[in-house]
Amino acid sequence: MDVLTGWWDDYFWGALIVGKVFICSLGLMILFGLLGAMAKLSNSRVAQKIAGAYTVVFRGTPEILVILLLYFGSAIALTSIAQIFNPDIKFVDVPPFWAGTIAISIIVGSYATETFRGAFLGVNPGSIEAARALGMSDLQTFIYVRIPEMWRLALPPFGNHMLSLIKDTALISIIGLNETMFVAKQAITVTGKPFTMYIVVGAIYLGFSTIVTLFVMGVEKFGERTTIGAK
Amino acid sequence: MSFDFSLIAESLPLMLMGIGITFKLLVISGVLGFCLAVGLLLMRISGKWYLNFPAQVYIYVFRGTPILVQIFIIYYGLPQFEWIRDSVFWAVLREPTGCAILALTLNTGAYVSEILRGGVLGVGKGLLEAGSALGMSARQKFIYITTPIAARLALPAYSNDVISLLKSTALASTITIADMTGIARTIVADTYAPYEIFMSLAIIYMIFTFGLQKLFGVIERYLGRYSRREG
Repeated sequence: MDVLTGWWDDYFWGALIVGKVFICSLGLMILFGLLGAMAKLSNSRVAQKIAGAYTVVFRGTPEILVILLLYFGSAIALTSIAQIFNPDIKFVDVPPFWAGTIAISIIVGSYATETFRGAFLGVNPGSIEAARALGMSDLQTFIYVRIPEMWRLALPPFGNHMLSLIKDTALISIIGLNETMFVAKQAITVTGKPFTMYIVVGAIYLGFSTIVTLFVMGVEKFGERTTIGAK
Repeated sequence: MSFDFSLIAESLPLMLMGIGITFKLLVISGVLGFCLAVGLLLMRISGKWYLNFPAQVYIYVFRGTPILVQIFIIYYGLPQFEWIRDSVFWAVLREPTGCAILALTLNTGAYVSEILRGGVLGVGKGLLEAGSALGMSARQKFIYITTPIAARLALPAYSNDVISLLKSTALASTITIADMTGIARTIVADTYAPYEIFMSLAIIYMIFTFGLQKLFGVIERYLGRYSRREG
């Protein structure tokens, strides 16, 4: 274990970046998922088609390809825009952090779209009728009836999406994000102990997965506190 | 920034040369992973803690860490040990393809065994009781009652896992394998045209995914031929 001396703090900062990517992409993933689900459930044909294409494309393409395309693609676009204003600029890129975060949240968001859509459809029609009968507006029904029923239904698959997000952060190291995989690579060039270094990375990710799993279990319990015995 | 169609026409045949390797990775690790999954499943439902517990730990570890980390541990990590380089496994582990297949097999085995377990748990108790009433042994019940029904129940989830296995094969490109993604990355490094190359590759993967989905649809219809409702 003494080869690891001096690398713990690097791993800590790497893990912190994994956490940051996870938090940012979680928010974006929920946003993309909700937008996709709304589009699929809307009456507009065009919105349905766009959301359908979104899910088909991102569920059928390897994650690494999306990350590479978004990172290099946006760099080319930004560079050509920047060159209009200043022809001396050779290369501009989106920081790997944001390119990667956006890429994985788009990918997992396409899975979340289906989850949210199913959960919204699973809301008991009787509850909505009851809300109408009480004179609630559409917005009130959405906030007080649909959302509270929907998130309980969506939670188990949503927990799996959160785990995919955590694991997909490892892929962002490919475009040069200095997270744990990147730290391991540096440590290996110095110490020449690849197995030890990558096992540490694996252990860090296992820790993150465990935390997420326990968190989802806790929230699930919290969600059931008023429905125990009612089912 | 313009879309260069002649470049696509030039590089498409090159990328398709990698389809054989992608296919090989998918089929070999799919089949081996399935065998591993059945083994793990039998351990988990054996009811003996010394079989159940190791299987559970295995599944927990392999589902809780990113596949990229697993690939790196096997390809870069294992050669750290002298005894592995001297062992008979070195013939497989020396080759990046062997490592990729091993990693994908170990990874997909963990996921598939959970899917199969879901299928086994979904088999109705009444059917097994009927089997006992007919005097079937535990083994006969497993082969003639549990297996056919569990296969039907697990198939939709299994087809999703095969598709994610296909997407995971793209990660083989990170350990210098010239699969479709690997070739595409080389072309992009030469031409710096990520849009054209990566997008056309994404379409190839989508066609591949679509084909797999159709194939599983046919199998699903075949397995469900007796349980389909009339009319």
